[in-house]
Amino acid sequence: MFVEVSLKLLEGFGVTLKIFLLTLAFSLPLGLIISFGSMTRFAPVKWLTKGFVWIIRGTPLMLQLIVIFYGPGLVGTWAEAQINAGASGALIEWLATWHVMDRFFSVMVAFVINYSCYFSEIFRGGIESISRGQYEAGQVLGMTKTQVFFKVVLLQVIKRIVPPMSNEIITLVKDTSLARIVMVYEVIYAAQKFIKSDGLLWPLFYTAVYYLIFCGALTLLFGWIERKMSYFKS
Amino acid sequence: MSILQVNGIYKKFGKTDVLRGIDFSMEEGEVLSIIGSSGSGKTTLLRSISFLETADRGTITLDGEVVFDAQNTLKKSKSEQRKIQSKFGFVFQSFNLFPQYTALENVMLAPRLAAKELNDYHKHKKEILHEIEQEAKALLDRAGLSDKYNNYPCELSGGQQQRVAICRALALKPKIMLFDEPTSALDPEITNEVLKVIKSVADLGMTMIIVTHEMNFARNISDRIIFMENGVIAEEGSPEQIFCHPQNPRTKEFITSFSQNVEE
Ligand SMILES: Nc1ncnc2c1ncn2[C@@H]1O[C@H](COP(=O)(O)OP(=O)(O)OP(=O)(O)O)[C@@H](O)[C@H]1O
Ligand SMILES: [Mg+2]
Repeated sequence: MFVEVSLKLLEGFGVTLKIFLLTLAFSLPLGLIISFGSMTRFAPVKWLTKGFVWIIRGTPLMLQLIVIFYGPGLVGTWAEAQINAGASGALIEWLATWHVMDRFFSVMVAFVINYSCYFSEIFRGGIESISRGQYEAGQVLGMTKTQVFFKVVLLQVIKRIVPPMSNEIITLVKDTSLARIVMVYEVIYAAQKFIKSDGLLWPLFYTAVYYLIFCGALTLLFGWIERKMSYFKS
Repeated sequence: MSILQVNGIYKKFGKTDVLRGIDFSMEEGEVLSIIGSSGSGKTTLLRSISFLETADRGTITLDGEVVFDAQNTLKKSKSEQRKIQSKFGFVFQSFNLFPQYTALENVMLAPRLAAKELNDYHKHKKEILHEIEQEAKALLDRAGLSDKYNNYPCELSGGQQQRVAICRALALKPKIMLFDEPTSALDPEITNEVLKVIKSVADLGMTMIIVTHEMNFARNISDRIIFMENGVIAEEGSPEQIFCHPQNPRTKEFITSFSQNVEE
């Protein structure tokens, strides 16, 4: 039984890892772009970005997941009802084509949007914490803005954001369990199946081992990166 | 012909007039010190000369070439602008070394990036890089830092950091060196090591402008002294004139307040 449970949970944890890695792969670059949006001098873009980040960070990920999974279907049903009641027009017909998206896809959309916003705030904090003197020193040495960013600022930003990033990334590992509420088969969901089928509760507790091992490995990785960059202070 | 001509520089921050018409010129090899009370606009003037601030009015001419004209700021290409920029060496009060690079790398970074724009860079890459390294080492040696090539800024004292910063500015072979209170962030015991390096640069014939509160140093090193007050040059003359026979009552007051401080 133990081996069977272990394998089933491993299968579930594979999905957990997939959500984790895909979220990172998309939300790190997207977060950098959003951070530039929130720092731009062009006011409309700046305030739109800030408003969006505020909404995403100010509401629970669980709620965002539900809205993204059920929302399009509800809109589609509503539009169809309107058409049946005699409404017409290109917009309403387009809305009527909306339907529930694939479960895994909805989870990815929600996670990528949510984590991009969190990462963007970390990037913004890191970039804004670099003193003006560093940019000015680059300028008086005749460097271009691009050279200053890549040769002077970037490494200092990375060094500063490693601790908050590692926090956020470890939170992401555990947030993947929210995928369960739209029935995506990740590790917690896999364990809960044993309650129904065999009346076993311990597999649920056992999932903690998977999380602990993975977060432990991540902690070691981030510690190593921090040590790698400890040769300078900024 | 004068190497630097500053004409009619005005600068406002919001509603405050910080510079209200600055005119002066310098001969090649001249050492000019700018003194004046806090807030009189010394830093802003130095920053305007080196393009860290954009003056609202006025012109700056370097070596016969108009490098800044408030009326006509858009005509220069970016690479021209950077070429002009590197003719001014700037030393900050707070050093602003790049923390992730060693002393030697700090000095070599800008010349290396500039060398990439040379036409024969790829053909003679090795020789060019070797020459840059030799020159950087020579500069550090002259500043008494021959055993610190591979130290990171966090491993250096403030005085050593500032000396590296001076070498970094010199590495681009500027026409004029600008120092903004190069020793005010340092403990009094170590200001001398930095002042000595600045003196040695002056002795090599470098044209320089030094904003400083070190009155004795200004007096000894300068060919000429400018006293600034409320955004204008209140008095200008030889060290002898400014320190011993100031004409303007405000200069007199400023100089006396300093000698009293020294006595205390
Ligand atoms: N970026 C800025 N924005 C607004 N005001 C500024 C700015 N920079 C300088 N000022 C103001 O301009 C005035 C002159 O400043 P500046 O730094 O040039 O004086 P300073 O003569 O160098 O003084 P100190 O001896 O204290 O260094 C001050 O009143 C200062 O508050
Ligand atoms: Mg100042």
